[in-house]
Amino acid sequence: MTDVLFIATKRPQLGIFTDSLVKFRDRGAKVYLAGTFKMASVAEDLIRAELDGVHQLPRNLNKRSSAMRRKAKKSPTGMRVWMQSQRDRWLRQQARTAHVIVALDPGAVYTVWRLAQYNTTAEAHFGLAPALRAVDRIAGGPIRPTALPPVAAVAQDVRRSISGLPAAMMRTATSRPVMRSTVGARLWRSAVTAPGMPGTVRATASRYVAEGMEEAGRISGAAIALSSAAAKIPDPELKAQLLHESAMTEVSKGISPRDLVKAVDGHLAHADDQFAKGLHESASVSLYRALSLGFHRVLHIDQLSSPLAKDAEAFVAPLRKSAAYRAVAQPRGRKTPPKSPPSDRPLRLLVTTSTNANFLQHILARYGDHPGVELRFLDLAAQKPLKRIAWAAPQMLEDRLSGGTSEYQRDVERLMRPHLDWADTVFVDWSVGPASMLTTIDPGDTRIVVRLHSYEAFTRWPHMTDFSRVDDLVFVAPHVQQLVTSLVPQLREASAPRMHVLDNAMDLEGFRRPKSADARFTLGLIGISQVAKDPRWAVDVLKRLREHDDRYRLLLVGNDMNPKTSKATADYLTLLQRELKPLEASGAVIRTGPTDDVPAALTDIGVILSSSVREGCHVGLMEGAASAAAPVVRDWPFYAGKPHSARTLYPEGWVVDSPEEAAQRILDITATEESWREACEQASEHAVGTWDWSVVQKRFDDLFLG
Amino acid sequence: MRETANQFINTGWDVTVVTIAQESWELDSGIDLTLLEQVDPRVKVVELPLSREDLETDIRLFDEERALNPAKWVTELRKRQAKTFPEASFGEWREVLEQAALDIHREHPADLLLASCVPYVNLAAAWRLWEEARVPYAVDFRDGWSIDVIDGTEAFSKDSELGRWEQKILDNAVSLWVVNDPIAEHYRARYPDFADRVRVVRNGYDADSSPGHAHKPDLAAGLTFGYLGTVNFTATHLETVLDAWRAAREREPLLANARFEVRGHIGNGAGRGATRHAEILKEAEADGVRFGGPASKAEVAEIYARWDAMVLILIGGRFVTSGKVYEYMATGLPIVSAHVVEHDASNVLRGHPLWTGAVGLDVEAMTEAFVRAAHLAIDTSDEAHAEAMAHADQYTRESLMTVAVRELVDRLAADKPERVSVEGASALPEKSIVTGGPAS
Repeated sequence: MTDVLFIATKRPQLGIFTDSLVKFRDRGAKVYLAGTFKMASVAEDLIRAELDGVHQLPRNLNKRSSAMRRKAKKSPTGMRVWMQSQRDRWLRQQARTAHVIVALDPGAVYTVWRLAQYNTTAEAHFGLAPALRAVDRIAGGPIRPTALPPVAAVAQDVRRSISGLPAAMMRTATSRPVMRSTVGARLWRSAVTAPGMPGTVRATASRYVAEGMEEAGRISGAAIALSSAAAKIPDPELKAQLLHESAMTEVSKGISPRDLVKAVDGHLAHADDQFAKGLHESASVSLYRALSLGFHRVLHIDQLSSPLAKDAEAFVAPLRKSAAYRAVAQPRGRKTPPKSPPSDRPLRLLVTTSTNANFLQHILARYGDHPGVELRFLDLAAQKPLKRIAWAAPQMLEDRLSGGTSEYQRDVERLMRPHLDWADTVFVDWSVGPASMLTTIDPGDTRIVVRLHSYEAFTRWPHMTDFSRVDDLVFVAPHVQQLVTSLVPQLREASAPRMHVLDNAMDLEGFRRPKSADARFTLGLIGISQVAKDPRWAVDVLKRLREHDDRYRLLLVGNDMNPKTSKATADYLTLLQRELKPLEASGAVIRTGPTDDVPAALTDIGVILSSSVREGCHVGLMEGAASAAAPVVRDWPFYAGKPHSARTLYPEGWVVDSPEEAAQRILDITATEESWREACEQASEHAVGTWDWSVVQKRFDDLFLG
Repeated sequence: MRETANQFINTGWDVTVVTIAQESWELDSGIDLTLLEQVDPRVKVVELPLSREDLETDIRLFDEERALNPAKWVTELRKRQAKTFPEASFGEWREVLEQAALDIHREHPADLLLASCVPYVNLAAAWRLWEEARVPYAVDFRDGWSIDVIDGTEAFSKDSELGRWEQKILDNAVSLWVVNDPIAEHYRARYPDFADRVRVVRNGYDADSSPGHAHKPDLAAGLTFGYLGTVNFTATHLETVLDAWRAAREREPLLANARFEVRGHIGNGAGRGATRHAEILKEAEADGVRFGGPASKAEVAEIYARWDAMVLILIGGRFVTSGKVYEYMATGLPIVSAHVVEHDASNVLRGHPLWTGAVGLDVEAMTEAFVRAAHLAIDTSDEAHAEAMAHADQYTRESLMTVAVRELVDRLAADKPERVSVEGASALPEKSIVTGGPAS
């Protein structure tokens, strides 16, 4: 049986068409018609034509985006028809299996042309008579191969043609329709790995193939094509570049790359090669790429899991094998130890950060008005030259590789030495660029204290910081210390700084306010602007509760996620909003948006949630607990089951394993007004008694003043 | 062309016909392979791998630009093609044709090249062989080049690129063949120095296409009118004919159950068999009209034998004759003319006893013509039929071409002393000829 698919953009000459169909059927063909013309007006004629299938394709692009409509306006008819038709499921299905695809008029030719690339074995013709001849040919035996040609043959063509063919033609051969077909995609993927192809040709081919696959929605296919080609390329630089493109193809779509390790290894191999040759600049570029890729935020920050959290040491193992990286991580130490705090004058304390001073307010307030401290605050981002050196990762790496002989070293010396000369102690908040920058130079006798919150553990910066030049490293929670120590070898060596765990500085007393009447049944989540906060988990808990009692509702406080942050974030946000829509409509979920007055917002919240996949110390939760909301904390999956986790940070009973358990805990707590109030009181007492600034500041005094 | 080649063979010449591949003809309006059976087996046929790119229908062979906008692409193609030789659709064949002529001549030196047009690009091969090897050539223009035979106007001026080509070609041609006197007059007037070399060689008809006997209509089954030929007239022209046909069927009881059968090629390329004409014919089925598709040469006599009257639908005017008219005459059947009054077919038909006359493209007049033809079909005696057939005898293709070829050979011989002095060509017997155009 031969399947013939006709495509028409205007009403065919129905008399002739019907007569012709008889001839097709006489030859044992099944006949299908898809049209963008108004088929309803000739419905009876089409019924009389006794087609095996008739399908109305979209007649316009009215339901599509205005951008697409604008594009269509500027496009020739053929393209417009294709834009209308390409997503039509019926058409795609028929085109996949048709033996002959026929354009009945000029407007349909392009659509047939595109479909023919999708179905590579079908005959594709313009006009009834040529189509009939094609049916005869098919009946007479296989003229066109029924399967795709052998891969080697295609590869031969690729080799021969790529260097000579114009880009447009390669794009055609690797276009979306071809790549959308499994066979086409597999064929091309194999073709780019065929033996005997020069590296540059292979790279070019694989990029075209990847581009086509990406357009066809085959993101992983595109990545595989690039990394498969890379595997056959001996030149380390080109190989690394292709592997990088492969990984970034997936990263840019919010996907963790399957060949991440290969891509990182590729850069490291090239970095080592260049480093061995004394080419520090190019080695630093490759190393920078390896670190940037390995610690891309899509992999660790914008997802609900991270390869780094699963097995930290294994994740950084490739780095440790690299000679170039080992050179960077080599502790250089300091020539003189830090001097003791002065006894004859106040301690000169320099507190520095780059922009983010969110967790410094209490510290600055206390030591700005402390008789034993002369305080200076330096926002590195406020001064251009300082900002530039604070985040100049490649230059930092080059300086490390060159043994501290780079221009960058001189810049840091020039710009930071005066601050070091003045300060007895420098407190660097956030262990990111500024910490790496500052440890480029020997601090002399100045004491260096760095605080690492949580986020930094998932970045490249701790791997570019010379902790042998840091005297004290402050963590906000033990589980963060545990993770970072296993990630950064320097922190396990003799030259490692002293390590402390100091809770964030929070004024929790002010959160104790009377609760509103319906707070008992109101869950709250403070801060939802990152994927890691996983508000969908909280929604799950709410849904379970509402199965028991529809008085339960959820207040989401804070800014929404910014979909522009990354594709992964945008994808999460889409899912979240889809889930929230009906719940918001029914009043089960209320999004308050950002607020300057969190204590006021908390007066409506009777149960405070921590739904995150990871946290340093969850400030929102602590504030909620202090406000006398009953805390329910997800056992943060990044740390769950490890020696330190949410379970070790918070009192027993706060932490749950699952939404079911969370719902049950909330049902238990809120079962009566009394039980709820009791749980709330206990939580508040613990929070204020443990994390309030009045308690924590003593530990900071100890840190700075000894 | 088939008859021309055969006649050269009969005159003792070696003949090589240069044409395009059979599958390339398929791209056009189709091919009747049975015609090849009548080609003398001694004729050598060289098929060149040429095809009309504009008629390609295999979408897999289209580039994206063509797929996006087929019509625009073809327009651009035609412009490109005309750069090589000033003829749309065919211009780019020039190089291959020239090379073929040179190759054939190198292998087996030719004494004459006969270029049959269309396409006119064949002239480029004739000119090349003339320039490089001084092989004499004749031109068979059929309908002429610088005359628009449909409109009866000059197709291009003498100082245009086309005009310079025609001038150059005719300046050195042994002879020019055209199909009728009006065209011949045009050329004689345009090129007075060349006037004596212009020869009218009518299309004529193949004797075996004639049913060869008088026809007895079957009134009970209904009369059958017929048209056999390429459907090359406009849709409006066809509608006019069918309007008259409908009116005649209503008016004339003899036609109440009559049929009108149309046979021939409709459209080419993607539109093959699927033009507006085909739809008009389909819509007219209720009026006894039926389109039966192309007919092979072998079927022609049998088809004519079934018909009771002919409908001669022709384009153009006094410069157009058409081969159909001869064949129609030879059927000995009544003929309804559906063409303008001032048409060369009228000249050919004048004196034919069963012709209803040239009434122009007027529905009422044509209706009358159909009615009259119906009566002629049943009232005409066997003798009258025989007389009608005899009217066509003078136009059998064989007899016309025998004379034409003989004259051309004589002309070449007459030119010989002059040409021998240039080229030293061999004696006329065992001459070789290269001809272009279709093998039909």
